[in-house]
Amino acid sequence: MLEHFSFRVIGQYLPLFLKGLWATCWISGISIFFALIIGVVACGMRLSKNKFFQKLAGIYIESIRSTPLLAQLYFFYFGLPSLHVNLNEVQTGILALALNSGAYIAEIVRAGIVSIPHGQVEAATAYGLNYFQRMRYIILPQALGVTIPALLGQFIVLVKDSSLVSLISVLELTRAGQLMASERFMPAEGFFTVAAFYLLIYYILKYLSNWWQNRLIYMEGH
Amino acid sequence: MIIFKNVNKWFGSLHVLKDINLHIHPGEVVVVCGPSGSGKSTLIRCINQLEPIQKGEIYVDGIQVNKRSTNLTKIRSEIGFVFQQFNLYPHLTVLENVVLSPIKVKKVPRKEAEENALRLLERVGIPDKANDYPSQLSGGQCQRVAIARGLAMNPKVMLFDEPTSALDPEMIKEVLDVMVELAQEGMTMIVVTHEMGFARQVADRVFFMDEGQIVESNTPDEFFDHPEHERTKEFLSKIITHN
Ligand SMILES: Nc1ncnc2c1ncn2[C@@H]1O[C@H](COP(=O)(O)OP(=O)(O)O)[C@@H](O)[C@H]1O
Ligand SMILES: [Mg+2]
Repeated sequence: MLEHFSFRVIGQYLPLFLKGLWATCWISGISIFFALIIGVVACGMRLSKNKFFQKLAGIYIESIRSTPLLAQLYFFYFGLPSLHVNLNEVQTGILALALNSGAYIAEIVRAGIVSIPHGQVEAATAYGLNYFQRMRYIILPQALGVTIPALLGQFIVLVKDSSLVSLISVLELTRAGQLMASERFMPAEGFFTVAAFYLLIYYILKYLSNWWQNRLIYMEGH
Repeated sequence: MIIFKNVNKWFGSLHVLKDINLHIHPGEVVVVCGPSGSGKSTLIRCINQLEPIQKGEIYVDGIQVNKRSTNLTKIRSEIGFVFQQFNLYPHLTVLENVVLSPIKVKKVPRKEAEENALRLLERVGIPDKANDYPSQLSGGQCQRVAIARGLAMNPKVMLFDEPTSALDPEMIKEVLDVMVELAQEGMTMIVVTHEMGFARQVADRVFFMDEGQIVESNTPDEFFDHPEHERTKEFLSKIITHN
């Protein structure tokens, strides 16, 4: 079988793959950046005392987590123009990915926050820190510390999920594979290469995650 | 300095503070004792409004704290609070623990805050631990850091909630020594504790709480040697045999 495997064509398509790889990386990077902001804000709203914010964040998180990403992507891609919001494909893709991941991140961060012993929050309150200062200086640094592995896990999911934006014809890694497969009728080579590049990204993130976890164990050992 | 007028507090249907009236003067040291669940912690937590009250009035330095319009941050930054479980911030060094609120709440310049913090750490006897993390310290050292953190706000009052109850016996003295010194320097203090030695040495008054009321209030010698109420006698006999 392997003798039919055309490494030569893969070589020809390499520039396209690299372009796709780059697009996957930056689309994922921007998406995770916004997802983190959305996630932290949504989590803050969910944990706030304000019933309205609580409810709003709850609805957002539940509706994202209970529907497929593909449906969300199509909803924005086909739905937004009819609301006269015009985004290009890449922007739509980033919007869908960020909103989707944000909901999961909100829950990850919430788990981190509730793991912080209440006594510390009380001490911070007793010493005059307001809600935002308590979040900023006491809770989030610790909550993010313990949730970094879960957040990197979510980032890995987001990188893989970003392949769905190929369906709205954004040129990224998966789309590059699709192009090669359809232009040269080489699905095996095309998607093998795609998979190999995803694996590469996965191992880099995984390595970071392990490194962080070890660091955390080291810090707790003190 | 601190005044309670007919203070009542409920947790749901549980009536934990019943018509508390008290008046604590500047420089006074008051020890609060009583059985577990009698409302001692709640009493002092109401002072800086870690717990809201449902009825009555609490004044700190002339300002009513249980009012919506009161600037709680300002009140809190004038009250030091030392918890039974220390409640240090584990991700920050000892120095950072001490300077956080002075810098962020009182807007003291960092350099000044750090110099002051180092002086305070020296005063509580651990100047060499400034760059350690709380997890590297013993319980007694943690509690002394917590006291330094309280003093760093330059408070008018220090509140202590069973500061030595979570400590191994050999560490209790090092913490009490710091507290005795503080009392002798004229700090206004309310201390929930069963350490009778401490009470006899520095307290001006001892309160006995039972079921949400201050049942008895007296000078330490009168209190320990001639308790008036049955409940007080019963309680004292228990902690004496225990000690
Ligand atoms: N957050 C809370 N919610 C409900 N009940 C509480 C809470 N905190 C304390 N209590 C109850 O209030 C009573 C007084 O508690 P506390 O002030 O902690 O007593 P003490 O410090 O004297 O042991 C107890 O019966 C306790 O169970
Ligand atoms: Mg208590």
